[in-house]
Amino acid sequence: MATIVKSYEPTFWDRLYIPALVKGLMVTIRHIFKKKVTIQYPDEKHIPPEGYRGLHRLNKFDDGRIKCVACEMCAAACPSHCIHIVPDASPWEEGKERYPVRFDIDLLRCIYCGFCEMACPEEAIELTEIYDFADYTRESFLIDKDGLLEVYEMTKDENFYLREKENAA
Amino acid sequence: MPLLKIDDREIEVAAGTTVLDAALANDIEIPHYCYHPVLEIVGSCRMCMVEIEGMPKLQVSCNTRIGNALPDRKVDGMYDMVVSTKSDIVKRARENTLEFLLLNHPLDCPVCDQAGECFLQDYSFRYGRAHSRFEDEKRVRPAEDLGAGVVINQNRCIMCTRCVRFTREISGTGELFVQQRGNSTKISILEDKPLDNLLAGNVTDICPVGALLSKDYIHRNRIWNLDRQPSVCQECSVGCNVDIYHKNGKVFRTSARENLDVNGYFICDTGRYSYHDYEAVERVTSPMIRKDKKWQKISWDGAFKEIFEKLGRKKEGDSNNVAGIFSPFHTSEANFMFARLMQNVFKERAVIGTLPLPKEEEKKFPGGFRISGDCSPNWRGLTEVSSYIYEDIFNELKKQKIKLMYALDDGVNRELTQEWKDLLRNLDFLVVQTYAMTPLAERAHLLLPGAAPLEREGTLMNDSGRIQWLRPVIPLKGSSRPDWKIVMEVMNTVGKRELDYSHVNEVLAEMNERIPAYEGVTFFKLGESGMSINEEARES
Ligand code: SF4
Ligand code: SF4
Ligand code: SF4
Ligand code: SF4
Ligand code: FES
Repeated sequence: MATIVKSYEPTFWDRLYIPALVKGLMVTIRHIFKKKVTIQYPDEKHIPPEGYRGLHRLNKFDDGRIKCVACEMCAAACPSHCIHIVPDASPWEEGKERYPVRFDIDLLRCIYCGFCEMACPEEAIELTEIYDFADYTRESFLIDKDGLLEVYEMTKDENFYLREKENAA
Repeated sequence: MPLLKIDDREIEVAAGTTVLDAALANDIEIPHYCYHPVLEIVGSCRMCMVEIEGMPKLQVSCNTRIGNALPDRKVDGMYDMVVSTKSDIVKRARENTLEFLLLNHPLDCPVCDQAGECFLQDYSFRYGRAHSRFEDEKRVRPAEDLGAGVVINQNRCIMCTRCVRFTREISGTGELFVQQRGNSTKISILEDKPLDNLLAGNVTDICPVGALLSKDYIHRNRIWNLDRQPSVCQECSVGCNVDIYHKNGKVFRTSARENLDVNGYFICDTGRYSYHDYEAVERVTSPMIRKDKKWQKISWDGAFKEIFEKLGRKKEGDSNNVAGIFSPFHTSEANFMFARLMQNVFKERAVIGTLPLPKEEEKKFPGGFRISGDCSPNWRGLTEVSSYIYEDIFNELKKQKIKLMYALDDGVNRELTQEWKDLLRNLDFLVVQTYAMTPLAERAHLLLPGAAPLEREGTLMNDSGRIQWLRPVIPLKGSSRPDWKIVMEVMNTVGKRELDYSHVNEVLAEMNERIPAYEGVTFFKLGESGMSINEEARES
């Protein structure tokens, strides 16, 4: 079905351009007096809403041991196959008999769907609110077990970005 | 023959067949734990309950046999037995049985190595209730080491007693037994008599849950991550069928693959853990030549040229003959090509035989399982592809004062006798085609890197004349090549042939023509279970 487009002949008023110009300026002026929505990143940081899915972390028990038991459910659930785990028998006597020797996530492949978090039977992996982890090399986006545990230390108290703001002030 | 009606299907079965056997043979699933096809029936797990018309209570299908009913007692005037495996009461019985089995079960699937191939998981998912009504504390007991690399996680055991019956009936050693009763029942060993037999690893295969585990595999990977390759064990001439689980060129475990014509349902521990031996050897991965007592890498072309110069030229004198050492550890294809090289290229100069073979005593178990005393997987195949062979070539070499030798090495780290060492030292030129730095390889002048046992592809013939397909599990390392291919290229260089097989099945096709035992054998026909040279069906 062909659509017939009628060509528009501008009138005299249109040709003056002034009314359109004024109209546009009015929009600008109206917004000058409204509340600002722009955030002055990185001086000021956006606080993500609850349930935001950002950088992963691996949780620890209170005694400092890793919660993960290397069951690889997260790796099985991951649609982008970006979790790589090497399991082994855990070195501690009490508690879980299995733990990850290596736990690597390719953050560039990850699509931050949160399936890993949902699949985990031990509540060991979680997505945090951290969103600004840009870097210059691809290698730096391969996060390992130590990195993930560090993220836990950073985020174990709530409101990472609020705290950051307070600390800065 | 009795006529059985099971759900909507009518099946004619031989009198005396159990309901479970009849169902399984006809692809009707009845969940079961304690039943195992080669173990005595005990009917203890109660998972296989079915409803049988005319019987007031549910029956265990594994121990209910079908017989001929009297004419006036037939159901509907025609069926000898009418079984229902799907009725509501059967479903409820299964739910209840599973709930009982799970009373004390830790459900620690995340750390359990059986997860993914666990019948408790599968049946709970398919037939179980999603929740438990048990409110008390679960019984917790420590894991125990049973010996022979097997550990038991007592909490996960469902008391099917398969393992106990295995040690009594199949290995005949009887180490395992059921200790205590009721809530305290557990699988035990006597303190001074741990699990210690060459079939012990099989209990980890037949345990339907994650109670018995092999220390070798515990916490090493997850089963769904691994690729399964059906293969053949290369540790003795029985040629047990195995599954090799591997990932990214690394083997994680071996388990038995069912083949009633060869090994039944089991394998021995030597075969089960043999992949470690293949990993432990020092590998040869590129052609190497010895120069001033040191190994130097050379190219394949350089190696073939060297062989041509040393072996290809006829010289005068008695040192002109070439000894060709076959290997019963290699595939029939490699040996076949080697036989052609000897017969067609070196012709009357060839003296062929094998190295002294490692021999052990044959072991037989009460359950019928056999471990052959011949530790090579393909002696029979070797004798089929090569007409005449000196089993131990030593005397012949001595008599003929042989100076040139080309050997297919078997990779066995055998101690060479002083006599052999002297003989090898006096050789003018020794080419060894090998994957490992064995004592023989150490004495070579030129090394050709062949395929390791798990890298080989071809056929093996076991001692009862069954041809089986040996499939490669992991890729070739470095610049090594398949053994048949190396021999082919030596034929091309030394014998000025123009053979150009690109895949081992072309060699097999050639063998079809020339070797009577291999007539009509193709990889496709061999499939997973192989074929016997005596098989009538092959002619048609
Ligand atoms: S968030 Fe999704 S894509 Fe990223 S690691 Fe988890 S499961 Fe994989
Ligand atoms: S993070 Fe959770 S799901 Fe992933 S391996 Fe560890 S315990 Fe299992
Ligand atoms: S035995 Fe099966 S159900 Fe029990 S913990 Fe292991 S995998 Fe889970
Ligand atoms: S250890 Fe395994 S095979 Fe033995 S009785 Fe328990 S569940 Fe059955
Ligand atoms: S399989 Fe029938 S009772 Fe266990």
